[in-house]
Amino acid sequence: MIQVRGLTKHYPDLRRGRLVALADVSFDAAPGQVYGLLGPNGAGKTTALRILSTVLRPTAGTVTINGFDVVAQPSEVRRRIGFMSANTAVYDRMTAWEMVEHFGRLHGIAKAELAERMEALFARLKMNDFRDLLGAKMSTGMKQKVSVARAIVHDPPVLIFDEASAGLDVLVARALLRSVAELRDQGKCILFSTHIMREAEKLCDRIAILHRGRILAEGPLEALRDQHHERDLEELFFQLISQHDEAYAASNDLSLHSGRRQ
Amino acid sequence: MNWSNVRLILAREIRDQLRDRRTMFMIFIVPILTYPFLGMIGLQMSQFVQQKTTRVLVFGAGNLPKEPPLVENNHFAERLFRQPGKTRLLELHLAADAPKPRGDLEAEARDAIDAGTYDAALTIPPDFGSRIDAYRQAVRQGNKPPQVPKPEIIYTTAVEKSQLACDRLRIVLEHWGDEVAKSFLAAAGVPEWSMQAVDLQTFDLARETGYRGAAMWSKVLPVLLVLWALVGAFYPAVDLCAGEKERGTLETLLSSPAARSEIVLGKLVTIMLFSGVTAVLNLLSVAATGPLMFSQLPGFGPPPALSPLWLGLALVPASALFSALCLAMAAFARSTKEGQYYLMPLMAVTIPLAILPAAAGLELNLGTSLIPVAGLVLLLRAALEGNYWQALQFVVPVLAITLAGCLLAIRWAVEQFNSESVLFRESERLDLRLWLHHLVEDRGPTPTAAEAVFCGVVILVVHFFLSLKSLPKADFPGFAVQVAVTQLAVVLTPALLMTIMLTSSLRQTLLLRWPRWSVLPAAALLAVVLHPAVNVLQVAVMKLYPLSEEVQQALTGLDAVFMQPPWWQVVLIVAAAPAVCEELAFRGFIFSGLRKTGSPWRAIFVSAAFFGLTHGIFQQSMIAFLVGLLLGWLAFQTRSILPGMAFHLVHNSMGVLTARVPRSFAAERPILGYLFHPSDQGGMAFAWPVVLAGSLATVLIVIWLARHSEAKPGDGGRGVPLTEGLPADV
Repeated sequence: MIQVRGLTKHYPDLRRGRLVALADVSFDAAPGQVYGLLGPNGAGKTTALRILSTVLRPTAGTVTINGFDVVAQPSEVRRRIGFMSANTAVYDRMTAWEMVEHFGRLHGIAKAELAERMEALFARLKMNDFRDLLGAKMSTGMKQKVSVARAIVHDPPVLIFDEASAGLDVLVARALLRSVAELRDQGKCILFSTHIMREAEKLCDRIAILHRGRILAEGPLEALRDQHHERDLEELFFQLISQHDEAYAASNDLSLHSGRRQ
Repeated sequence: MNWSNVRLILAREIRDQLRDRRTMFMIFIVPILTYPFLGMIGLQMSQFVQQKTTRVLVFGAGNLPKEPPLVENNHFAERLFRQPGKTRLLELHLAADAPKPRGDLEAEARDAIDAGTYDAALTIPPDFGSRIDAYRQAVRQGNKPPQVPKPEIIYTTAVEKSQLACDRLRIVLEHWGDEVAKSFLAAAGVPEWSMQAVDLQTFDLARETGYRGAAMWSKVLPVLLVLWALVGAFYPAVDLCAGEKERGTLETLLSSPAARSEIVLGKLVTIMLFSGVTAVLNLLSVAATGPLMFSQLPGFGPPPALSPLWLGLALVPASALFSALCLAMAAFARSTKEGQYYLMPLMAVTIPLAILPAAAGLELNLGTSLIPVAGLVLLLRAALEGNYWQALQFVVPVLAITLAGCLLAIRWAVEQFNSESVLFRESERLDLRLWLHHLVEDRGPTPTAAEAVFCGVVILVVHFFLSLKSLPKADFPGFAVQVAVTQLAVVLTPALLMTIMLTSSLRQTLLLRWPRWSVLPAAALLAVVLHPAVNVLQVAVMKLYPLSEEVQQALTGLDAVFMQPPWWQVVLIVAAAPAVCEELAFRGFIFSGLRKTGSPWRAIFVSAAFFGLTHGIFQQSMIAFLVGLLLGWLAFQTRSILPGMAFHLVHNSMGVLTARVPRSFAAERPILGYLFHPSDQGGMAFAWPVVLAGSLATVLIVIWLARHSEAKPGDGGRGVPLTEGLPADV
C-alpha cells in the first residue's frame, strides 16, 4: 500500500533559481493494483519514484509504504519494495545468477531459501540460458529480465517500475508487461511510470497524469475517459497537457506584464 | 550497522575489481614490470651519458709546463684518468697559440659552445708554465713562491653535456695538480710518501648488523609505501564510486536495504585491500630489483630484515587514510574521467608531505609526528633504521593524527553518499554570464559556503603576496601603516565588498546585533583569564616547533617597536584594528557562509583555519587557530560579532601591554613577583597556580556562556542565518 500526501520536491537551479520538480502531489495505490504514473519527459515521474524508493528526500510532504515513512524509516521501506528503473542498471562484471543472489542476500534471505527461490524465478522468467553470462555481455532484454528478477527476488509487497520498458524492443516489452500483470495478480501493489499510452491502457487500474510536477487528472481509466469525454487515452493526455501549458504560458505572460507595469 | 551487508558488499566489490582488467593491470602487472623496466632504462641511459665523448677547446696549450705533462698527442695524459683507455672521452682541440685578451677568449668559447661545436673550453694563462717553474724554483730554495695564474674552465650549466665536460676536466686537472704538487715536494727534497702520513679509513658499524645501507632504504621505502598506497587506493575508488554512477548501478545499490554507511564501509575496506596489495607488490618488486641494480654502490646492502614487519604495520593506517580520502573524492566525481582529474590535487598534497622529511632534513619529534603523512614517514624511517626507542615514543601521536584524518575522511565520504546533490549531480554547461548574474541577482541574506571559502582564499593569497613585498619595519609609524593596510585592504575590504555584492543582508551576514548585555564583559573577561594559559601554550608550541633564527630576530625587533609609542597607539593598531577587521571577515562573512554546510562545528573549524593561516608564521598560526575556534564558538553561541570583537581586543592588548611592564615591576612587589615575572621570550610568564586558576575561570565562563546561549535549536540546520528572526539592533 502506497500513500503519498502533498509530496513536493525543489532543486536549486542556476537558470530558474529553483526548479519545482514536484508540487503537492498526492495519491494512493492499493495491493493488487497497477497504479500508472503517466507523464511526458521531465514531468517529475522519476523524482517521485526516487523519493518513494528512499534514494531522494522530499522537500515537503509525506510518503508511507506499507505503513513505513520513507524519511523516518528508509531501511524498512527498502526491505518492502522492489525498485526498477532505467537508471538501475546491471553490474557489468557479475553474472545474472550472482547479481540476483547478491541482492537477495542483501535482503537477508537465507542461502538455501534464496537458492530455491532463484531456481523458480529463473525458470519463470526464462533466464536459465544466460544465468552464467556476465552483465557486460547481455542483451538489453536479458538485462531487463535480470533487473526484474533482482527487484522481486525478496518477494516485496510493493513494486516500483520507473520507465521500465524504455528502450526495449516489442518482444521484451511485452514480456515485461506480462510479468507486471502476473505480479499484480499475485496481490502486489505496483507503481508503474511510463509515457507510453498503450502500456498504461493495457496494464493500469488507476492512472495519474503528471505534468510540470503536478497531477492534472487522477482516477480509474474509465472514470477519466467519462470525465473528459474522450475515449482515446493519448488524445485525453494531449488535451490535458495542452490546456495546462496554455494556462501556464498565460500566467507567465500575465506576471511578466504586471511586473513591467510595476 | 548490519555487518552481514558490509561483508556482502565487500565480497562483491572485491570480486568485481578482480574481474576488472584495468585494476588488475595497475595492481599486479605495473609493480612487477615497472622497477625492472625503470632499472633497465636507467642503466642504458647512464651508460649512454658516461660514454658520450665531450669536446673541449683548449686556449694556450703552449703555455703549459713541460713537466709533468698534461697533454700528450693531442689528448690529456692517460694516467690522469681514473680508468685506463678513457682519454677519448675528452676530445681536445688545441687553439692557435696567439695570445688574446681574456674577454676575446670568453667570447670565442661562448660562440663555440652556443654553436655546439665544443662542450667546454679550457684557458691556460700566458705565462702559466714559466710561473709554475718559478714556483718550483722558489720551493727548492725555500723562498716565498710567486703567484700562479689560474687555468679556467668555461662551460654552461644550461647544457648537460657542457656540465659533463666540465666535471671531467675538473677531475683530470685536479689529478694533474696533485702531480705538480708532488713535483714541488720532490724539488724541496721531501719524499712523496710523506704525503701519506695521515690517511683515513672508515668502519661501518652496520656492516655486521644487517642494517648496512639502512639509511638509503629508510628514505626510499616509506615514500614508496605512501605513494603506492595512494595510487593503489585511487583507481579502485574511482571505479567503485564514479564508475558505479557512470554505469548506473549506484541507484540499484542505493535502493537495496544496505544503509549508506554499510555501503561506504564495504567499499572502503575493498579500497584499503587493493591499496595495501598495490603497495606490498611495489615494495616487493623494489626489494627484488634494487639489490641487483645498486649492488655496486658503496655502503649499499639489502633492506633490513625487519623491514617487512614495519612496512606492514605502517601500511594499515596509510592505506586506511588514503582509501577514505580517495573514496570521498571519487564519490564526488560524476564519471571515471572526472574522478581521474582528482588524482593530481591529491598527489600535489601528498607528495610534498611524503618527501618533506627527507628534503627538509626533519627529525622525528612531537612536532613533526603531528604532521599528517610526514609523521608516518618519519616514524617508519626511525623503525627501519633500527631506532626503536625513538619510534616507540611517537607511535601514539602519529597513529592518533592518522586515525583522526582517516575518521574525518570517512565522515566526509558518508556525507557524500548522503548528499543528493552529489549523487545525482548532472553536468551543466558553464555559462559565466548566467552564473555571475545568478550570484548577484539571486543572492540570499547570507553568503554560500563556496563564497565564504573564496573570500578566505582571496584574503590568504593577497596576504601572502603582500608579506613577500613588505619588509619588517623597525619603527612604530612604519609598522602601524603596514598593519593598517593589511587589516583594512587585505582582510576587511574583500569581506565587505563580497557582503555588499553577494548578500542581501549586511546585518545577518556580519552578525551585527547587540547580544545580551552581560555577554560583552564576559567575553572580555574570558580573554583576561585565558591569557596565562595562552602564554603557556605559546611556550609549548615554540618548544615543539622552534622558531628559525631569522624569525626570532624579526620578532625581537618587533618587541622593541612596541615600546616606542604611547600605550593607546599600540592598542589601537595591534588590538583594535584586528579585532574589528578580522572579526568582520572571519566570524562575519566567512563564518556565515560556512554555516550553510550544515554543521556549526565545521563552520567554526574552517573559519578558525583561515584565521590561523593569515597569521603567517606557522607557530603563530597554530595559536591563532586555537583562539579562532573559541572566537567562532562565541559568534555561534551569542549570534553576534561583538563578543568576539571584545575578546579579540582584550586578548591582543594583553599580549602587547604585558611586554611593556617594566622588569622591575614584579620584582619590587614580592607577592606579584610570585604570581608572574617577565619572560625571556617577552611578555609575562605566569606561575602555575595563576595558569590553573585562569583555566578554571575560563571553563566557568565558557559554561556560563553556553548556559546563556542565544543559539536556537534550528541553528544546527542548513543555512538558517544566525540573526534570522531577531530585531535589527545594530
